[in-house]
Amino acid sequence: MKRRKIMGLAAFGAAGALVLAACGGGGSSSSSTGGGGTSPSFGAAVNSVFNPSSHKGGTIIFDHSSAPDSTDAGNTYYASNLNFTRLYATPLTTYASCPGTCGEQVVPALATSLGVASDGNRTWTYHLKSGVKFEDGTPVTSADVKYAVERTFDRAVLSNGPSYFASLLAGNAASYKGPFKDKTGNLTSVTTPDPSTVVFQLKQPFGDFDFVVAFPQTAPVPPAKDTGANYQNHPISTGPYMFQSYQLNKQYTLVPNPQWNPSWDPQVKQLPSKIIVNLNVNAPDIDNRLLAGDIQVDFPGSGVQAAARARILSSPSLKAQSDDPVNGFMWFYYLNTKVPPLNNVHCRKAVEYAANKTNLQTAYGGPYGGNIASTAMPPTILGYQSFDLYHALSTPGGDIAAAKQELTLCGHPNGFTTNIAYRSDRPREVSSSTALQAALSAVGIKAGLKSSTSATYFGNFAGVPTYVHSHDLGILAGGWGPDWPGGYGWGWALFDSASIVSAGNTNIGELHDPLVDNWFTALEAASSQAQRNTFTNQIDMQVMKDAVMLPAVYSKALLYRPSGLTNVNVNSYYGMYNYGVLGTK
Amino acid sequence: MIVFIIRRLIATVFLLIIVSMVTFAIFFLLPKLGGQTTYGLATQYVGRNPTRSAVLQIEQQLGLNNPIYVQYWHYLSAIVAGEHYNAGAQSVYCPPPCFGYSFKSQQPVWPQMVSDIPVTASLALGAAVLWLAAGITIGVISALRRGTIFDRASMGAALAGVSLPIFFTGLVSLELFSYKWPIFPNVQYVAITANPLLWAKNLVLPWICLAFLYAALYARLTRAGMLETMSEDYIRTARAKGLPERTVIIKHGLRAALTPILTIFGLDLGLLLGGAIITEVTFSLHGLGLFTIEAIQNQDFPEIMGVVMLAAFFIVIANMIVDILYSVVDPRVRH
Repeated sequence: MKRRKIMGLAAFGAAGALVLAACGGGGSSSSSTGGGGTSPSFGAAVNSVFNPSSHKGGTIIFDHSSAPDSTDAGNTYYASNLNFTRLYATPLTTYASCPGTCGEQVVPALATSLGVASDGNRTWTYHLKSGVKFEDGTPVTSADVKYAVERTFDRAVLSNGPSYFASLLAGNAASYKGPFKDKTGNLTSVTTPDPSTVVFQLKQPFGDFDFVVAFPQTAPVPPAKDTGANYQNHPISTGPYMFQSYQLNKQYTLVPNPQWNPSWDPQVKQLPSKIIVNLNVNAPDIDNRLLAGDIQVDFPGSGVQAAARARILSSPSLKAQSDDPVNGFMWFYYLNTKVPPLNNVHCRKAVEYAANKTNLQTAYGGPYGGNIASTAMPPTILGYQSFDLYHALSTPGGDIAAAKQELTLCGHPNGFTTNIAYRSDRPREVSSSTALQAALSAVGIKAGLKSSTSATYFGNFAGVPTYVHSHDLGILAGGWGPDWPGGYGWGWALFDSASIVSAGNTNIGELHDPLVDNWFTALEAASSQAQRNTFTNQIDMQVMKDAVMLPAVYSKALLYRPSGLTNVNVNSYYGMYNYGVLGTK
Repeated sequence: MIVFIIRRLIATVFLLIIVSMVTFAIFFLLPKLGGQTTYGLATQYVGRNPTRSAVLQIEQQLGLNNPIYVQYWHYLSAIVAGEHYNAGAQSVYCPPPCFGYSFKSQQPVWPQMVSDIPVTASLALGAAVLWLAAGITIGVISALRRGTIFDRASMGAALAGVSLPIFFTGLVSLELFSYKWPIFPNVQYVAITANPLLWAKNLVLPWICLAFLYAALYARLTRAGMLETMSEDYIRTARAKGLPERTVIIKHGLRAALTPILTIFGLDLGLLLGGAIITEVTFSLHGLGLFTIEAIQNQDFPEIMGVVMLAAFFIVIANMIVDILYSVVDPRVRH
């Protein structure tokens, strides 16, 4: 979760969601220029396209305070980079380029349509659009798509991307090592009956497979041009832009791909004549450059820093050029089901009631940092329904009476002792853990504070169940963004017992609830989105009944859009501006 | 002199081997003693929710499952003889001195550091010229005009320079001279070979900020040294011999006062060449300092090891040069 930073969806506040309900049913808008305005106002790019334009030319500069995990589209997991790679890598499917919840829809990109499922969601067939070419003019074939998927199996070379193909595909997927090591081998569960058809054979039903192939791991790679770990220096483009230059950890530049045809992927545009990405730029300086108009976009899309936030919110003119969408990410605490006395559900419920949610919200940046959360899934997940089991919304200061009642039921009427784990290099997590410690002490729960660094949090600390048990880490800070806006894409890694592993664990609560496990299985076997939504909501409710997660906030990010930037809109899935359609005047 | 240099170079090699052993032990042995598993370490370098086989592949690729002494031997031998690394479709040869293969970027460490050295060298050497010129000049004048307004003002400014951190002066200078009055807009490193004028223009603010910190220190040191030296008997003798005051000050006074300053300068320059971390981060200059920060944030041990070795090398070499210069500044050393 940390490694992926903000992986996610953008959602909107309640009012915005109501407005957008109509948009959601509007089909896959291939144009992002409808319904927009040009006069700046706060949140203008959340529910509509701000400053729509088809003007070509100019340069867009992105600054990144760090660097993407890789520019190789088959080797990335960061939301901002998934967003950006659409400019040069065309996967089988992608997310609709339209404002509002409509942006959560998965739509065809390289494929002519969404996947055709058969054999009870076990076989997925995609037909490629005709005429699509690489930047060097070579036609794209289904073999290039298959090869792109195959190379992601070599985790020693491409270590960063998701592992869904390895875990979902049938045949020899479990033992396949990828084309670099297995020169004569073949991933048997992906077949190419003709140059424009690719078929995926899964070992179990998986109704969300269209979302899985939306990862750019399915963007075609020509085998002859694949240089393995060095492919990131110049990925061969199928999108509107191609690499002109690349300096590792410093800068890369994209220019228009002359081969590209807008009909290949209507979700992206070819507007600026150059796109420059500066890497490892000092974060406060990025905000200054953004406000000065020296750059156009803060690449990670996770919002401006505290100093710039204060400056923007205190200036009406600057505020009018900003947006504060719910970005699909959530901050919360895992409540471990194995560490006594939290192995008793009533003890966990006592923590749920006693926590002061207002103070947690303050720790995470106040109302502009996030909305108080009451569910285990954010509002951006398809099938989400709001509920408030532990009075987070009705009594945000904490329900002390209910907490004491639960303490009595768990056999510790005067409270108990446990520990809160958090990442010491995350100021907001430090503040929220201190606030939680204070709130719990009001009902007699004495919580010690135990920290590690972000780098070791999952590999050696909170993500190692034996360490968690031996050090009595009952309450553990976490954050999460979904791999796709569905119940499985959000919650499988957090709540399914099959996701518990000995190191790098993400089901840190160690939930083992057969109901939840079965619903995850049923969700992927379901034949309709409506059925999947039902299971999603049931899982959310059951997880909260199990009290394995203490939700803190549905995260928000304050984004700034410099004047001159065109077609600005927040993509609900990525949780930031849609990089695929931006232009400049 | 040649024997002296050879002897120092041999000692340098041994010192660097010891540094490499200590740093290698810190990063690869101590975590193991603290209970960290190589599997847990490998999970840091693979995407989230990895399969077990994915983690094992990473563990093998990074050589984490080898015994520590084997890992160390591979590390040392790569520095001397180079190494081939598996980059998937092709093998990447990392020529000596090869400081390993980055866990994160999957690229050899040495070429990355080499590309960053010009940035740090430009920053450090340019700032060094400024702080030496300003610091020594101000220190000498302050010493000669002890108690005057100039002395008090310059020492006050020096105190401020020592006290103000670069992340403060840097951000203030950027705010004022890059954004409010864009005299130096879009500060970023431009190679001197590409555009010498832009190279200098973009480094003016970092140079001044870095030099402000060091010049303050050097001014105070020079002043103290000069005050002490100018009260020595041989200065009185020189004056009594009728030497011009300029000669007394520069040849007899300053020359003696420079010896301790030279020692500190060697250390300071060596440290800065290993990475002016705060200045580079503040001004987003992609030198060894920023490289170090990225390596630490990514827990990229080969990169951290590489930069530690390079920094140690710079410090040792800078000190050796200072030792040689001693004999020029102070003839007594030759005897």
